[in-house]
Amino acid sequence: MIIYVTTIAVLLLLAPLLLSFIKSLKMVLLFKRPSSLLQGYRNFSKLMKKETIISQETSSITTYAPFLVLSPLLVTMFFLPPVVHGAFYVSFVDAFTITGLLSLSTFFLMLLGLDSASAFGGMGSSREAFISALVEPAMVLTVFSVSMMAGDLGIGQAGVNLAEHFPKEHMASFLFAGISFFILLIAENGRIPVDNPETHLELTMVHEAMILDLSGVYLAIIETAASVKFVIFASLFVSLFIPLGLQYSAPVAILIFIAKLFGVAVAVALLEVNTAKLRLFKVPNLLGISIVFAFLSLITFYVLGA
Amino acid sequence: MVDFFIGLFLASLITALFTTRLYRLLMWYSFNSFTLGVLALLIGMKLQDNAMLITGIATILIKAVGIPYFLKSFSQKFHFVRQITPEIKVQYAIMLIPAILVFTFYLAEPITNMIANNSNYVAISISSLFLSLLLMMEHKNVAPKIIGFLSMENSLFLLGITATDGMPMLVELGIFFDLLMAIIVINLLFHREEMKNA
Repeated sequence: MIIYVTTIAVLLLLAPLLLSFIKSLKMVLLFKRPSSLLQGYRNFSKLMKKETIISQETSSITTYAPFLVLSPLLVTMFFLPPVVHGAFYVSFVDAFTITGLLSLSTFFLMLLGLDSASAFGGMGSSREAFISALVEPAMVLTVFSVSMMAGDLGIGQAGVNLAEHFPKEHMASFLFAGISFFILLIAENGRIPVDNPETHLELTMVHEAMILDLSGVYLAIIETAASVKFVIFASLFVSLFIPLGLQYSAPVAILIFIAKLFGVAVAVALLEVNTAKLRLFKVPNLLGISIVFAFLSLITFYVLGA
Repeated sequence: MVDFFIGLFLASLITALFTTRLYRLLMWYSFNSFTLGVLALLIGMKLQDNAMLITGIATILIKAVGIPYFLKSFSQKFHFVRQITPEIKVQYAIMLIPAILVFTFYLAEPITNMIANNSNYVAISISSLFLSLLLMMEHKNVAPKIIGFLSMENSLFLLGITATDGMPMLVELGIFFDLLMAIIVINLLFHREEMKNA
């Protein structure tokens, strides 16, 4: 139980650090002077101190939607697979629950964008709906196929099973599921081929457009939600597709887990530097590839057993 | 480990089907051939077959490095269209590719019953054969059609090394010379295209 709580606390603390790590690594790769690794925490504390201004046009949704964006993600943190062998975990939560919780959070984010009644908010919401509608089937398929390989529908149990018995005989379908999930990780977190988190140009914004009217505490909450979402996806990826190093003692295993998370962050940063942002109507192609791979992983597993 | 590289082989082929740039397509073809070479090395080591090790190294040298390099220099020389949009729209391709895969997996079932070991690999190589046919079909330009032809050859090679526990060395070398001939014919084709454009 202690390890369980510690892991969640570590993940929460690590969330802003990972995003600022990606940002500074990208700046190093582009030969710029990198920003500090602590920038995420600095932004958070600065925003917490600032005054919160709410537009007169908004309804009561704006006052409670930020909390409803963050809370499903926080609930999801408790359902993640364990990082240490023998640690406490929730075994009964399956692909549908995780996807549902994540899309609940996205739903309130979209409401928040619509509520401010600005042109940007509605545009961002419609784009987000467009992308997340394509992400959900692929996500369900991928997580489902991985949990079939692990032999249990629950994600926590699947993570444990994968760590104990790595599916060497199902390596091909495992690889397809991994590729699919990595594309989802990029699409759902609004990283570069799908959405650029750093610009405020109206042609390219998705996530930023929805939160343009927020300030102060609410903005801090939404930014935290974004980083928590990245950590959730990264740790799902790490514990389902790189299930190594769980058998060591607790501190070592947690350190290995953090190292793997940073590995995912490095992969995302390299991809962001090397690709250009896709046009919005090309995004379905990328997500289509992800759906094809998810489906392929399922049928390879069922028909061939490879 | 063999499963992993078979997966990479099929994955790179599927990614090539969605590519819209010529150089990216060449890169995916090169990656595809590289995984094929590694597969030949792995299976050759398992079977203690020296001939297969040699063909694996030759595959990596010729198909993963040589042919993409030559095709790239050809396309620079003859100023090819580098933007190759597939004729089949992506939304149809998303439905078509899984359909082809399911169809071929069930198509290969009688064959897989005949083969004792590695029966899955036969199904995957037949499906990659069909996918490279699709790659030839979905483009109008010459260069991606050639890539489709070459990757069809790749999947036949995969079928050869996985289904038969190693073909005779002579056959494999013959296939390599065939490829060389094909490249020369392709070069002539390019020249004709050039003449037509001029």
